[in-house]
Amino acid sequence: MVTPLELVKKKRAEAINRIISKGYLSSKRVYVGMATCEIAAGSKEVMEVFVNAIKKGLAGVYLSQKGCAGRCNLEPTVEVVEEGKIPIKYGKVTPQKAQGIIERHLKNGEVIKEWMIE
Amino acid sequence: MSRYVITLCHGSSCMQKDSQKLRQAFEKELEKKKLSEKVKINLSGCLGMCSHGPIVIINPRYTVYGKVTENDIPELIESHIIKKEPFKRLAIEEDHLFNRFYRVFGDVKFFGKQMRIVLRNCGIIDPENMDDYLSVRGYEALAKVLTKMNPEDVIREVKKSGLRGRGGAGFPTGIKWELTAKENSDEKFVICNADEGDPGAFMDRSTIEGDPHTVIEGMIIGGYAVSSNKGVVYIRAEYPLAIKRLEKAIADARKEGFLGEHILGSNFSFDIEIRLGAGAFVCGEETALIHSIEGSRGMPRPRPPYPSVSGLFGKPTLINNVETWANIPVIILDGADWFSSIGIAKSKGTKVFALAGKIANTGLVEVPMGTTLRQIIYDIGGGIPNNKKFKAIQTGGPSGGCLPEKFLDTKIDYESLVAAGSIMGSGGMIVMDEDSCMVNIAKFFLEFTQNESCGKCTPCREGTKRMLEILTRITKGEGVDEDIVNLKRLGTMIKKASLCGLGQSAPNPVLSTINNFMEEYVEHIKEKKCRAGCCQGLFAYAITEKCIGCGVCKKVCPVAAITGEPRSKHKIDKNKCIKCGLCVKACKFEAIKKA
Repeated sequence: MVTPLELVKKKRAEAINRIISKGYLSSKRVYVGMATCEIAAGSKEVMEVFVNAIKKGLAGVYLSQKGCAGRCNLEPTVEVVEEGKIPIKYGKVTPQKAQGIIERHLKNGEVIKEWMIE
Repeated sequence: MSRYVITLCHGSSCMQKDSQKLRQAFEKELEKKKLSEKVKINLSGCLGMCSHGPIVIINPRYTVYGKVTENDIPELIESHIIKKEPFKRLAIEEDHLFNRFYRVFGDVKFFGKQMRIVLRNCGIIDPENMDDYLSVRGYEALAKVLTKMNPEDVIREVKKSGLRGRGGAGFPTGIKWELTAKENSDEKFVICNADEGDPGAFMDRSTIEGDPHTVIEGMIIGGYAVSSNKGVVYIRAEYPLAIKRLEKAIADARKEGFLGEHILGSNFSFDIEIRLGAGAFVCGEETALIHSIEGSRGMPRPRPPYPSVSGLFGKPTLINNVETWANIPVIILDGADWFSSIGIAKSKGTKVFALAGKIANTGLVEVPMGTTLRQIIYDIGGGIPNNKKFKAIQTGGPSGGCLPEKFLDTKIDYESLVAAGSIMGSGGMIVMDEDSCMVNIAKFFLEFTQNESCGKCTPCREGTKRMLEILTRITKGEGVDEDIVNLKRLGTMIKKASLCGLGQSAPNPVLSTINNFMEEYVEHIKEKKCRAGCCQGLFAYAITEKCIGCGVCKKVCPVAAITGEPRSKHKIDKNKCIKCGLCVKACKFEAIKKA
């Protein structure tokens, strides 16, 4: 008989596979804060910019929403995570800044220092 | 731009082991290897691995190193940073659930000094994707419980962890579980209290919105421990997104066999439903909450009997707060021994606070118990903005007290805060600077509790009303000498005679401000003066010689209290003025002053 523990481990392996098949290991992962507080600060509009960019062909990016990390006065926040690099955290992201993150960071690999949370 | 971050544990245990010297040694070695530009050194709060201290974490290629000495540093840097391989000799495998948060946020000062157990996944995973939760060892605690532990083991583990209720009162969670488990009944209930009502507190909302499965997993484990098959989440309707995510999480968990009949093929069955509250503050009190779920008016009743004996529909009921539930999976997976190594004497683990008010970095802060208020305000919160002076910190929301500067080194735990004259409460933390009037603050909180008083018992219903009348009078400049004595007498009486926690704690903001800021009350009453310039009854606006007669103030005044010819000094009619302050904001010449 399969124990609950074995079952959960199997489920976890399947879940990880599903996440990977959605492109998790692609070069850059982008997380947009989407809790009530972040949405109130304008993160829905920011999310749209990323969604549209991917629709229009932005490749190699895994986009996900996330909960609130708790940095209220710098919301909306966006993280760009790359394997083997320090995750970059951007604060007070507007749709314009999101466009900038796409053009400069995601396409050209430039870390935009002045928008970073430190 | 630094490409590597070295985090040195700055918890008290590692500090004793000379983590300070380590820092200097790292700096020296980095300089020698010409790496100073590329590597940033960070100090963190306790990382919860004290037995391996001093702890050093290097990111990227996140690796935890333990028992690091000065002599190891050259080799460590050579291996991890230059050769880009983990330095195996010191690397420790110990992996805790909260470590993931560190991988992403550890290099930010605000987060690095915190310890995220409850909020370990908030901001890390997609809360609406079950796969994300499963990939961070989600539901493994539940599976472990169902596979290897019987209900008594679970209760023993929770008791041993030293976890206490995070809703405010701090009752030992394990004992509550044991009391509920002991009862013989055909039916028992498990409730999650998500009726978060303190003004300015949003820990529970963020936890549910950021990681709903954690709460669900905790509740299922609780159900198993006390042999209950039915869980209820009582959450306020004004949290629509949290409700939506919770609903989705419950549906997903059901689909995957974590909820419902025969969970994960075991003999245990459990399901959860959501009940919406209409947003009454008193419904956070457990007996009022239970009445509200039953469909009655949300009013408390005297205890005993406690809910563990007679709760929802008269059945034994286990009721815990969101934050308490979120701790459970961690205690099961990382163990009670590890959990109880965090925190101090009678308060174990961490506490989440919603830091707000006059502070540079507002936000959610989770710190080990025993952290001082000063560390939260200055190390994490970044201090008071605009070079203003700290005046007081209010903990515990409308039920708590205001603590002045002399209490800043108070350690945060249930007992120390009470000794200082405040309470832990559910975790609101509001910082006030010199521009805040303490009488006005007390009035604000009392106004809240007065509005939210359910009216069942007289001390709370009538008493808070009378107290509020006195405070309102004082802030209008109509205070009389007996007011302070009366406030104290009423306050003490309400605390002693009220039925539930709402009334018993409602006078706290008033009593603590009288204790700590008596001089402000005296000023308001005797000199009719408000030093912070908040109380509208206690000052008037006047136009000074700086006025050039531009007429801007005249235009913005909503009650036409300002008169004057163009290019000559204007005047404010004190009888008409409502002290809205619009003219002060509009004046470009700083010609309008409080007098």
